[in-house]
Amino acid sequence: MLRYILKRLVMLIPVILVTSFLIFWAMSLTGGDPALMLAGDNAKPEQIEQIREELGLNDPFIVRYGNYMKGMLIGDMGKSYVTKRDVFKTFMERLPNTLMLGGAAVLIAVVVSLPLGIYTAIHQNTWKDTAGMIFALFGTSMPNFWLGLMLIILFSLKLGLFPTGGKGGLDSLVLPAVTVGFGLAALITRTTRSSMLDVLRQDYMTTARAKGCSEKQVITVHGLKNALIPIITAIGLQMSLVITGSVLAETVFSWPGIGRLVYDSISKRDIPMVTGAIIMCSILMCIINLVVDLIYAFFDPRIKAQYSKKG
Amino acid sequence: MRKRLALILSAAMLTVSLVGCGGGNSSNGNSAGTTKSADSGNTSDGASAVGHKESLIIGTDTDINNLDLQKQQDQINNIILKNTHQTLVFFNNGSNGDVRFDPCLATSWEFLDDTHIEMKLRDDVYFNDGAQTPMTAEDVKFTLDMAMDNMVASVLAGYVGCTVKDDYTIEIEIESYNNEFVQSLASLPLAIQSKKAYDDGVEDPYYIGTGPYKFDEWVEGEYCRLVKVDDYWGNEIPAGENLAPGVAEILEFRPYIEASSRVMALQAGEIDVCVNPPINELQYLEEDENITVYEQTGTRLFYFAFNVEKEPWNNPTLRQAVACAIDRDAVLEAAVYGKGTLQTTILNRGLWGFYDEMEGFDYDVERAKSLMAEAGYPDGGLSTTLSYATGTPYEQIATIVQANLADIGITVTLEPMETATLKSACVDGSQELFLWRWNEDSKVDFVYRDLFYTGSGSNYHHYADPKADEMIDIVATEKDADKRLKTAEELQTYLVDACPQVPLYIANLVIAYNKDLQGQYFYGGGNHDWRHAYIAQ
Repeated sequence: MLRYILKRLVMLIPVILVTSFLIFWAMSLTGGDPALMLAGDNAKPEQIEQIREELGLNDPFIVRYGNYMKGMLIGDMGKSYVTKRDVFKTFMERLPNTLMLGGAAVLIAVVVSLPLGIYTAIHQNTWKDTAGMIFALFGTSMPNFWLGLMLIILFSLKLGLFPTGGKGGLDSLVLPAVTVGFGLAALITRTTRSSMLDVLRQDYMTTARAKGCSEKQVITVHGLKNALIPIITAIGLQMSLVITGSVLAETVFSWPGIGRLVYDSISKRDIPMVTGAIIMCSILMCIINLVVDLIYAFFDPRIKAQYSKKG
Repeated sequence: MRKRLALILSAAMLTVSLVGCGGGNSSNGNSAGTTKSADSGNTSDGASAVGHKESLIIGTDTDINNLDLQKQQDQINNIILKNTHQTLVFFNNGSNGDVRFDPCLATSWEFLDDTHIEMKLRDDVYFNDGAQTPMTAEDVKFTLDMAMDNMVASVLAGYVGCTVKDDYTIEIEIESYNNEFVQSLASLPLAIQSKKAYDDGVEDPYYIGTGPYKFDEWVEGEYCRLVKVDDYWGNEIPAGENLAPGVAEILEFRPYIEASSRVMALQAGEIDVCVNPPINELQYLEEDENITVYEQTGTRLFYFAFNVEKEPWNNPTLRQAVACAIDRDAVLEAAVYGKGTLQTTILNRGLWGFYDEMEGFDYDVERAKSLMAEAGYPDGGLSTTLSYATGTPYEQIATIVQANLADIGITVTLEPMETATLKSACVDGSQELFLWRWNEDSKVDFVYRDLFYTGSGSNYHHYADPKADEMIDIVATEKDADKRLKTAEELQTYLVDACPQVPLYIANLVIAYNKDLQGQYFYGGGNHDWRHAYIAQ
């Protein structure tokens, strides 16, 4: 098992190489000169040229990429063109905010969607099932930013229960987490429902009932445990997406997370910041996927045995 | 069951929050509400007599990204630095023709000859470094010399060097006489910094200034908090004067990038000021009795422009035809719901020498068609591309322009793009028609030279005209005030007629704030002065 984990960690190296190359390449294709953005409107051409020279922007693409990777080898992700601050440090300052928001959102989603998914599966083709699926449809199709604004109007302006935005105490986390969590809950509900429906049709469920297990035991012990693998996959995927894809919620709630950082950096053509942040996000995603794979093993001994073999 | 679920959810969120928080104090929720009296003896305009809220919280529309004075150019950073640092000369935003630049850390200045300026400095100023290190001519020389190696060098164009004559006298040498060189020294990035702080290797030495506020904490993406300096050198200066001490104990700037969120934060009382509220939401703010919506003429000029190097836009008559075809009233309405001023000239309103009396090109389709015929296109039949930055108000402007130009037989393909990409395209000269804006409220040379001088970096029109260049040089260097003013008016008339750009409108400055806000000073271009602002209680 340990060897399997190490093997997966080593696989991060090609991931970093490919990601960084693609980002560098994409940023060079998008157009937009970072020196122009940095120099401001009144800069003279020679001053723009000086900035270009200082930042090494006049070098060919491959040289710039090589220099960047040289820095990476010694753990230096460079400095932001705009803030002049260390990229890694800036990223790590924002990461806890994103993890906090993502964690809370996934938690809300799981707490809501697991019982709902099981409930709708058990009551398949009844009005309860339809109501649950309408909820899921709403959650999937409702734009994140719109829901956020509606929640602010209701809970901040009308009821005065939560702050409108910013990162403060626990109360400031509630609305952004519910906003992000609502969409996730919808997806996880659908996955849970369909996975449970598959399991409920299995022979071993009938066997469990025949053995005299209570319905609660049949559903939670025999049913849910076997249905969990696709649900865990869905949760893991959503967690990865939340880390990088909460730009809208972060903007609406002025939440200082990674999504907003990357978005701002792209608009300013802050190449070191964008590249560094995306590499870090890729690493995080790989780690989340690894954790998800390890959780599979925890729930399914067959998978654990496979890992041991692969290792 | 429900209660149990709620309990589990709350406990789990608390855990996640505690794990994720990981350090750094943060400020949020309602504004600090402690009521205090203003420092006694410092105020004469009533600020001392009334209580005030301890803090003033300003919701900004952009993120603060760099507070190293000479390594940044963004307006939001300068607005913050204006409270903590001071310049030799102060730009006072006077109306057209008024004295607009006042002494600040320099008490007076005199041209010894065309290239040498002697400046006398205040002898009672010290830095907020905890040791009350005096500000001297050495600090001025250090700051200006350092600027030439930094990003802000362009602001100090023409600077050769400095000679320290005594502790409080400095002689500045410039390449050649320029009417606006001294005014350059009002630029915030040139605020005086402590040489000693740099020499002593102090961490982030650029944070140390001489202003009435000093830095307390900046958490990127969250807030930047300033606190009033207790031993500010100007504590004895009466309130109402430019260098008087601050009133609110805390000034806090919080970015709320999403405009609607910023508005709601103001309505909820979490912030005291909402910068740039969206125009379409003003009516909700106006209905709120706790909020004041303030509007004044701005300085931000939005314009439609040509790349005059590209065929067929090198034809001035054709450009004039296009200018006549644009319905600027409709543009103003679509872009900012009419909250702006139409203008004819290319100069930002409020700048020295502003002149808007030329004939220009009012909306007149018949005249446009006649000019089209004169330019050699009697039946139109032209196709072109209009490039602009995505988002409001450019998308609205572009749609109107596209419809207007169709009326005279010009088919326009709209090409929205990111600002960075558009800027590069404009510098490379690959664009044909484009929309842009220019915000300048202090120096006219930053308009004439930057936008129209041959080869200038921001001359996205790629306009090159020796006659215009000559007039621009005269405005910059002519000492005879009457002759200079006359040339400025001629230059504006000439450029409007040459038509490398079609000025559309100047957007109004709109800002919303707590109705009890006092002591604020608004600038049409957005560089607001919060040094003496407070919420009266």
